Amino acid sequence: MGQIGKRTNPFRQLRNREFRIYPVLRAVVMLGLIVAGLFSCSGSKEPPFLKIGLPEEPRSLNIWLGTDANSRNILSQIYQPLFRRHPETLEMIPWLAKEDAVFNEKELTYTVRLREAKWSDGSDFTSADVLFTRQLFADFKIPRYYSHWQVIENVVAVDDHTVVFHLKEPSAVFLPRVMTAPMVSKKEWEQVCKEALATEKPLRFLQDYQVDTPLGTGPFMLHEYQKGAYIHMIRNPHFFGLGQTIGNLTLGPYVDHILFNIYGTSDVAILALKKGDIDYYWWDIQPGYLKDLEKDSDIDLHYNKKSALYYLGFNLRKSPFNDKTLRQAVATVVDKGFILDRILQNHGNPMHSIVPAGNRFWHNQDVRKYGEGMDQKTRIKAAWQMLVDAGYSWETPPVASDGTLTKPSDIRLPSGEKMEKFVILTPPADYDPKRAFAGTMIQEWLRLLGMPAFARPMAFNSLLETVKGKHDFDAFVLGYGKLDLDPGYLASFFSSKNDNPRDWNMSGYRNPEFDKLAEKQKSTVDLQVRRQMIFDMQAMILEDIPYYPLYNPHIIEATVNKRFAGWVERVDGIGNIWSLCMVKPVD
Amino acid sequence: MAKPGYILLKLVEVGVIFFVILTALFFLFRLSPGDPISKMVDPMLTPEDMAHLIQQMGLDRPMWEQYLIYVKNFFTGHFGVSFHYGEPVANIIVDKLKWTILLFTTSTFLAAVVGVFLGKIAAWHKGSRLDNVMSISALVCYTLFIPWFALLLLWILGFKLGLFPLGGVLSPALWISNAPLIVRILDVLHHLMLPLMTLFVINLGSYLLLMRSSMLSVLREDYILTARAKGLSEKVIRNKHAARNAALPVITSVGLSLAFSINGGALTEQIFTWPGIGRELIFAVSNNDYPLAQACFLLIALVVLCANLIVDLLYAWLDPRITY
Repeated sequence: MGQIGKRTNPFRQLRNREFRIYPVLRAVVMLGLIVAGLFSCSGSKEPPFLKIGLPEEPRSLNIWLGTDANSRNILSQIYQPLFRRHPETLEMIPWLAKEDAVFNEKELTYTVRLREAKWSDGSDFTSADVLFTRQLFADFKIPRYYSHWQVIENVVAVDDHTVVFHLKEPSAVFLPRVMTAPMVSKKEWEQVCKEALATEKPLRFLQDYQVDTPLGTGPFMLHEYQKGAYIHMIRNPHFFGLGQTIGNLTLGPYVDHILFNIYGTSDVAILALKKGDIDYYWWDIQPGYLKDLEKDSDIDLHYNKKSALYYLGFNLRKSPFNDKTLRQAVATVVDKGFILDRILQNHGNPMHSIVPAGNRFWHNQDVRKYGEGMDQKTRIKAAWQMLVDAGYSWETPPVASDGTLTKPSDIRLPSGEKMEKFVILTPPADYDPKRAFAGTMIQEWLRLLGMPAFARPMAFNSLLETVKGKHDFDAFVLGYGKLDLDPGYLASFFSSKNDNPRDWNMSGYRNPEFDKLAEKQKSTVDLQVRRQMIFDMQAMILEDIPYYPLYNPHIIEATVNKRFAGWVERVDGIGNIWSLCMVKPVD
Repeated sequence: MAKPGYILLKLVEVGVIFFVILTALFFLFRLSPGDPISKMVDPMLTPEDMAHLIQQMGLDRPMWEQYLIYVKNFFTGHFGVSFHYGEPVANIIVDKLKWTILLFTTSTFLAAVVGVFLGKIAAWHKGSRLDNVMSISALVCYTLFIPWFALLLLWILGFKLGLFPLGGVLSPALWISNAPLIVRILDVLHHLMLPLMTLFVINLGSYLLLMRSSMLSVLREDYILTARAKGLSEKVIRNKHAARNAALPVITSVGLSLAFSINGGALTEQIFTWPGIGRELIFAVSNNDYPLAQACFLLIALVVLCANLIVDLLYAWLDPRITY
């Protein structure tokens, strides 16, 4: 212990003696500095790739398993449908099909002529591939496709480039749902399918099949996939759209290589954008980053509407939300302006109908709007009046006899029973702060009416199990980040027949009139007639309010403008096949 | 040498504990809310589609049947196929484990070596300026918030100074252009630096404080006084008599830390986009990817149990008085 307290200079001792004993440590430090120096200027040697950041690794390059957003981003450049939506008009236009499908109303057939397209290995894309794809959907009951393709009775190949689809019944979703399914190569999948069908679990076998080089007809093809590191795609020289004008756009691709890099957090992806390590981050930029990005002249920000729906849902199967008036009163008191201003920071729109406003053709803007143009005091008074008229009572009402607002207590149902405490379930703030905060605000607004509301964040899995699986809830705040542009989901969400555990009618909405329309629109081929039906369905929902739409955030994306330009903006942002066909290097 | 009976009993004990863990994992995942498809919030997916997927995953069978299949598969070396990736979980784990070992095991080892060394110095100079600086720095390191510190390093060294890449394990350009092997190795090391620095600094504090505390108690022992009375040099007393004895509890701790290091760290991996096993484990659990999550946890359990077994056997060898 003699050393303790001895007057020496321990720092000098350390420097002079101890480090001599540990040359390995010095070597490590030196190596670090050398490597850092070596590579700090290595960026300039990189070839001119279009570099795109992804938030996560794609799940799989097997199209039957890779259904997550990141896999779809990659696979949508490879596997192509017969028809796709025009980026601006959102109308269905021929893609792998050569021209519009010809509908024979009498025989219930669609005749589709195919382009003289080739697969990325140079072999021809023919009617046999279309027939094979259809058979594959049927044999394996491929989720998401099988149910829509069931409307097809038979498919006949008239010649190598003409296919006739025989329908069992007229179908409104033939083009938007059936014809937008990806076509796969018979050559690539035939043997796999044979093997799969011989197993006990054919779909699992098919999904677990490892695809190293997906064969597609799209603008790009896979060149190399280094798991955990990057995906390298190159231009498909056989792409049918190369140099063609489709939907008024003369397609490329004008870049030879795309490199997908993965960035685990938005913070790092934003740094990579600012540093120029990537040209585009294929993910929504949160408003918190905008101030910083707006200052950077090398970065362009793209604001687009989303085909999304964030809403407050009610359980119509039990008290108190089995009462329409109560739901309407709740809708009246919800301040969407506040949600937009404080929660979305004005990067979005208040939603008034179930179909998002960005979906211009199908969105009905003339639905009933609640609390429109009212301040908070007026909202509470209006909601209170609706409840009074319906027979609700309070020990202390929220509005005093002189019209001033008071702190209410003990709201009673029209039956005279005291309203029981109810819970508004939300995802936790770390999953989605917007929905969690919206739930808390709704709780506060309802308490101003004397309702015993409690917002409760719940782990997302448990929330879905509770709401969708068990139907054991009062109210919830949920959302769909990417709704299909065809409004067929209205029927899924609100048809009585879908009021089953794990089915899509989570609210338990039952309206025979709505059911009739929902069924009828499915077989209505005339677009204008169907549009009116969809409008009427939206109006019914906003009258009965099983769901109350809250907001629709904008999709905000960022690109670096120094190297590439020409991104195609559309609903749901610039991350789409049109952009990758149109983006050009900046001269 | 430990008695054969003792070794056998220890092996049986480890086997029983492992089987209990194997069983507990199965039921824990099955009893947690949801299933592998419950997170698929896609209106295009019909209830029939969902039922079909569940059936194809074998999750429609009675729980006991699933359990028996699971146990049988495990003992026949089949760890299953990930629901999420559609790949055998053994391949996924091997693929991820190499990156985890490279980063986490290296950082644990380096931090332990440097921590022991600096802890020895700090204890030897107890109460001095050097000791104060080291102890306070170690405390700061120990309490650092990993995401904040990792992002700070990324921002300064990666973004502002451009010395290191912002994430990942390699530079695509070098790999695409088929750079020589040595360049690729250096490239991986280059990518390793920032996450390694982060973990090194975070881990260093605990080892330094542990070694300092252990060394201080050893320095009070009689044999240190005896050594000094014998006229041995301070360096010999410190390094050969004090430090070696003080390092024993630290080495035990390091051994277990190295075993635990194979489970990686989700936060560090997420921030540095390091394709290790920690991030995958969290992902597998949150997505109810039962085969992958079970296999990850079983691997961790196996390594930790083996590490404990080795320590127990070593103790029995070092001290013959230890019996079962």
